[in-house]
Amino acid sequence: MGDRLLEPLSWGNALIFFLLAVVMLAVVLGFVTYAIYFERKVIGWMQFRKGPNRVGPLGLLQSVADIGKLLLKEDTIPRKADRVLFILAPALCYIPAFAVLAVIPYTNKLYFTDLNVGVLYYVALSGISTLAIVLGGWASNNKYALLGGMRSAAQMISYEVPLVISIVGTVMLTGSMSLRSIVEGQGGGWFWDWNFLPQIIGFAVFVIAAVSELNRTPFDLPEAESELVAGYHVEYSGFRFAFFMLSEYVYVFAIASLMTVLFLGGWHPPAPFLDFVPGIVWFALKFICIVFFLFWLRATFPRVRVDQLMGFGWRVLLPLAILNIFVTAAYMEIFIKR
Amino acid sequence: MFNVELTGELVAFFVLAAIMISGAVLMLTLTKVVHMVASLAAVFLGLAGMFVLLEAEFVAFVQVLIYAGAVSILMIFGIMMTKHEAVQEEPVRPVQEIVSAIGALCLFGIMFYAIRLTAFPAPSAPVTTGEDNTMEIGKLLFTQYVIPFELVSVLLTVAFIGAIVLAKKEAE
Repeated sequence: MGDRLLEPLSWGNALIFFLLAVVMLAVVLGFVTYAIYFERKVIGWMQFRKGPNRVGPLGLLQSVADIGKLLLKEDTIPRKADRVLFILAPALCYIPAFAVLAVIPYTNKLYFTDLNVGVLYYVALSGISTLAIVLGGWASNNKYALLGGMRSAAQMISYEVPLVISIVGTVMLTGSMSLRSIVEGQGGGWFWDWNFLPQIIGFAVFVIAAVSELNRTPFDLPEAESELVAGYHVEYSGFRFAFFMLSEYVYVFAIASLMTVLFLGGWHPPAPFLDFVPGIVWFALKFICIVFFLFWLRATFPRVRVDQLMGFGWRVLLPLAILNIFVTAAYMEIFIKR
Repeated sequence: MFNVELTGELVAFFVLAAIMISGAVLMLTLTKVVHMVASLAAVFLGLAGMFVLLEAEFVAFVQVLIYAGAVSILMIFGIMMTKHEAVQEEPVRPVQEIVSAIGALCLFGIMFYAIRLTAFPAPSAPVTTGEDNTMEIGKLLFTQYVIPFELVSVLLTVAFIGAIVLAKKEAE
């Protein structure tokens, strides 16, 4: 698909780009619908409940009904809110969430673009969502929303640094920042050749920082419901609220894909003799395991305290990530002959 | 002059230019400080898009990461911490405004004229802007430009420590 980007923009090509984007959007929306259902089921089972089971067979239509409710709800904007930014923030939050999916290679053939700075693209765009959360929190003109937005900004700035630095080790091993080359560099062998074992420190730091970037439990301080009512989206209702939730789950999709690509070998099978299974199946399996892991965390972990959160980011994760770079560099210098 | 081929690049250029110019104009005309920062972020994003068009992906996404992301958030953070409803005062000085408008037009005229006159010579040494210009940037940074690079990092560290020292002094 990447070659088509270089051709002149004819109406046909524009139509193809548009259709591909629509298909991707449909896939993502389908994922979000059933990720919410899956999350509620998983958390239900972990708490000896049944989870949603009334709407449709096995409760499968529960999320659809919820989305329908959100879309039909009255759209309220507080009178003292900053109208323009209040309306702009949910859209500004969602656009980068969808845009980051452009660089993820799902299989060897199925990818939208193979950017040579794919890793950086992802991290850079996800920062824009935080800007939207801060603006939304500020525009609501509500003290809880403002506190949620400020926490989000502080958390994002502290955790983006270890996130980027933890990826550097992987980039060093591959010698490229293109996500496709990173996956190709992990192929051909058994599952222990994937980056998560050689880069075990980087992988651990990445997982923690990624959960924090997602603003999910145990790092969901921007929307800590017991302290801040609902955090930055207290004043939002109807489909503007739905947009914030949607971007959160699209980021779950994106970060699970990114983790699969960077550390779990992307579309490569765990053993050479399993090569006959198509790559997309392996990608999907790894992807689902990570999504389950994220939900599992949410069901079992308490929330961290605000002051501990900052200290943990700067004093533990950052030095570990930097240590990982030095260890990787030393390993490459000693063992990998060039 | 106007019979150019309609490529994706051209469309993207005009869209980005529109975003940047309207962002810059809004930055000057809006009165609320947070709105100004938001329109400034739009300019940063447009600029990053321009870098992508010039095939400088690395610079583009660093631009988004540092300016549109971190710097904008820090600015908003600072504004929120100090004054929630900060509004710029509107100075009413018509003479000064007219004079500065004429000055700005003159500056634009001179720059436009100079740019039209300048012939851009091809760089003497062929710059390899091939597949992986990020790799080339990295190589240049750590070979030819290693001393300026290290000096900049020392400067940053000094500024960093200085900020901590100042903040500590305030706290005591």
